[in-house]
Amino acid sequence: MTNYVPTIGIEVHVEVKSKSKLFSNSANTYGMATNTDVNVIDLGYPGTLPTINKEIIKQGIRAAHILNCNITHKMHFDRKNYFYPDNPKNYQITQNRTPIGTNGYVEIEVDGIKKKIEIEEIHIEEDTCKSAHRGNVSLLDFNRAGVPLIEIVTKPCINNSKEATSYLTKLKELLFYANISDCKMEEGSMRCDANVSISKDNTLGVKTEIKNISSIHNVGLAILEEINRQKEILESGNTIKEETRRFDDKQNKTILMRVKETGNDYRYFIEPDIPYLELTDEFITDALKTLPLLPDELREKYKKIGLTPLQIEKIIANRALNSYFLGLLEYKTNYTIAINLLLSDIASYLNKHNKLITDTNLTYDKLVTVINSLESGELSNKNIKEIIPSLMETDKTLEQLKDEFNIKNITDNSFIKDIITKVIENNPDSVNDYKNGHDRAIKYLMGQVMKETKGSVNPKIANDLLIDTLNK
Amino acid sequence: MSKYLDLSIKEIHELLVKEEITPLDLVDEALNRIEDTKDLNAFITINDKVREEAKNLGKVDKDNLFFGIPIAIKDNIITKNMRTTCASHILDNFIPIYDATVIKKIKEAKMLIIGKANMDEFAMGSTSETSYFGSPLNPHDKKRTAGGSSGGSAAIVSANIVPFALGSDTGGSIRQPASYTGIVGMKPTYGRISRYGLVAFASSLDQIGPMSRTVYENAALLNILVGEDDYDLTSANRVKEDFTRLIGEDIKNMKIALPKFFISDIVDKEISNKIKEVISYLKEKGAIVDIIDMKYLDTAVTLYQIIAMAEASSNLARFDGIRYGFREDNTKTVDEMYTKTRGEGFGDEVKRRIMVGSYILSGKNAKIYYDKALKVRDDITKEFARIFKDYDLIIGPTTTRVAPLLGTSKDDPHKAFMDDVLVIPVNMAGLPGLNVPIGKNSENMPIGLHIIGKAFDEALIYKLASFIEEGF
Repeated sequence: MTNYVPTIGIEVHVEVKSKSKLFSNSANTYGMATNTDVNVIDLGYPGTLPTINKEIIKQGIRAAHILNCNITHKMHFDRKNYFYPDNPKNYQITQNRTPIGTNGYVEIEVDGIKKKIEIEEIHIEEDTCKSAHRGNVSLLDFNRAGVPLIEIVTKPCINNSKEATSYLTKLKELLFYANISDCKMEEGSMRCDANVSISKDNTLGVKTEIKNISSIHNVGLAILEEINRQKEILESGNTIKEETRRFDDKQNKTILMRVKETGNDYRYFIEPDIPYLELTDEFITDALKTLPLLPDELREKYKKIGLTPLQIEKIIANRALNSYFLGLLEYKTNYTIAINLLLSDIASYLNKHNKLITDTNLTYDKLVTVINSLESGELSNKNIKEIIPSLMETDKTLEQLKDEFNIKNITDNSFIKDIITKVIENNPDSVNDYKNGHDRAIKYLMGQVMKETKGSVNPKIANDLLIDTLNK
Repeated sequence: MSKYLDLSIKEIHELLVKEEITPLDLVDEALNRIEDTKDLNAFITINDKVREEAKNLGKVDKDNLFFGIPIAIKDNIITKNMRTTCASHILDNFIPIYDATVIKKIKEAKMLIIGKANMDEFAMGSTSETSYFGSPLNPHDKKRTAGGSSGGSAAIVSANIVPFALGSDTGGSIRQPASYTGIVGMKPTYGRISRYGLVAFASSLDQIGPMSRTVYENAALLNILVGEDDYDLTSANRVKEDFTRLIGEDIKNMKIALPKFFISDIVDKEISNKIKEVISYLKEKGAIVDIIDMKYLDTAVTLYQIIAMAEASSNLARFDGIRYGFREDNTKTVDEMYTKTRGEGFGDEVKRRIMVGSYILSGKNAKIYYDKALKVRDDITKEFARIFKDYDLIIGPTTTRVAPLLGTSKDDPHKAFMDDVLVIPVNMAGLPGLNVPIGKNSENMPIGLHIIGKAFDEALIYKLASFIEEGF
């Protein structure tokens, strides 16, 4: 089989986070009872007009910025005309000629090789309502009508499914971190379509569009399958038809939805109800001011304070914990101990109780005393496990908790020395092993020390003293 | 039988303040007059709660000239709980759940809405003969049209059923019927009055305006209709002003332009002569009147056909039978429902304009027709600006002929546009324009003068109009 080169372009729609909808003051929420979050504008009532929610324009500016796009300063909206029951006005207000962002990119890394996935444009538009089909009736839920969307369109510059999934993972991380969208594919707040074609030479093959793929993982599978399907067709001497398909993950196959008719005619024209928008530099600066640190900037920052790659990825994967950790960096303390504590005991407490760290009573000051006590040895990891619930749920200080849980870490050297002497006497074999260069023996001996003291001595001090004594 | 409604609103107001009459007296008189003039077919819906509303209006406010004054509303302006049909079968059962912004203002001023005025279906036409409810008649000669599309509103004021009506003007639809029926009709500057709640025909041209018996009363009503509206992004933010403030001032040295096109062969001889008499009168009173060359005026009708139909084809897409209005139920598929609902719901003229508009926006046509029309439209605006550098106002006849006989333009849809050839340029440039009656022709039919002002210069138009109304 000759080599075919796949060419893939991806269109992503994300629901934008905002208080209200794009063109009306209905709330922009998810999960309300059917048709309760609706007003006359969302319904496309006669005589109604769109208003513009500036907050969403700012989100568009932020999206354009983080995707390295040029920001369009003078822009307008357009009407895309088509009849469909979920389209209340039978036109959708979108941006056709003046998308808010153009010519951007997202940098990805696949198998150690960096590549810029080029973004053709991003634009703001309104969502349609949701339809449900029951037997021979169709029902419409207008709660979603007018919810703000940003559509992100890549150039046809993706060459395989790995690049596609890596792009989507990165895109999702960026939009999520910038607080532009929740990017929950299962709730439909992030939706992906992939355009796939294959060719043996420099000319582009006929493309098919796979609509509404349900997860990033499935985008990868769908693209692989679609490439295979197209190869088989071409190898058997047939031609690819321009069509819209969907991916069935149970059958692991793309399935024909409809054959595309020649050039959809949406009769675009400039939306006359919304005057041109001039985005001033001031407005843009203002929008970007609230942009949080993005994952790549965080990676850089965390590397500098000595976190391991694993720690970095783990903390970035948890946005709420990350933002708490960022706040902690304002304090001088041992960040390695801090990150370990956050990612282990604290994270599992939060998971277990389904809480956000901001819902707990763990103030930065309290956390810093805990970290310092861990560092000095006044507190052991075992102690932490005991006091965590009280630490998170009450206002009590660490000192109060230590009293309450009867934690008295023994830092008295002569007491520890007595224990060490006893352990050395009782374990001559291990002592010999150590003297013969078996470093592992020290661990065993330390274990014995901790056992004798029921874990109440400072392990660091005990360890130092043990080595001292053995080397004498 | 009382004749309070024949008095000026200042006189009516005094009687109300002195408690010699009540709002209910005015309403009862108006309802009697409606009954007596039923053959005019000027109303589509009578407000069956208006007597109750009159009784509950409360204590007369002596500073509010409009307290208790009845008004008719063109039936394309949304009235809460009162049927709003746009003179179309597709909305003949439509009872809105909100008020247009102007209706809120009318209600705040404690005016009483007597009913909804007949009109061309969706304001498409120039004789009101496209109404699903049959055409209104001209009170001056019932064999003739009252003009359109605000024909019902014009007939109501002309027959003095109530002193006021609201109309809407997309391509002359206030001024032309005002001229045909001998009343005062103002199309204010685009953006002066909120369009929220005006069922859109051509969004970039539509404007609501007052229709009245006298210039003063027209200006006074405009005072309460204007203002920026958060619900209409195209509404203008202007300092509050009193539009009656220049009425009664001298016109000496006022500079007035009369474009040659406005007195060319297309205008009836009797009308041209009347205009010439007006010019002599104005010159005699010290105004400077120059006959000037003005470009592009003859292109306006063509532009109107392109821009208005294109926008209309999109604006009227929402009438699909799904959420409100008439629906043809006996159908099997969505497409069949659309086709039958719209096929039966719309009249011929509306369907014709939707088809032409869809064609204009389709594929390459959008560039060939629509984009080009927008460019020429800019040229018209610039041409007006050029004239207004040297002149305060532009005048001409409002129409090329007096009100034609009913039935004469119905068979030639293209010719019907020619009724508006003199008034359409004003919509293209978004300027204010007013019709003031200047006498009658040999058949005793009214002739109107068209006064065009700079953007937001309505007060100056009223000054000249009132001067002519008083003295000519």
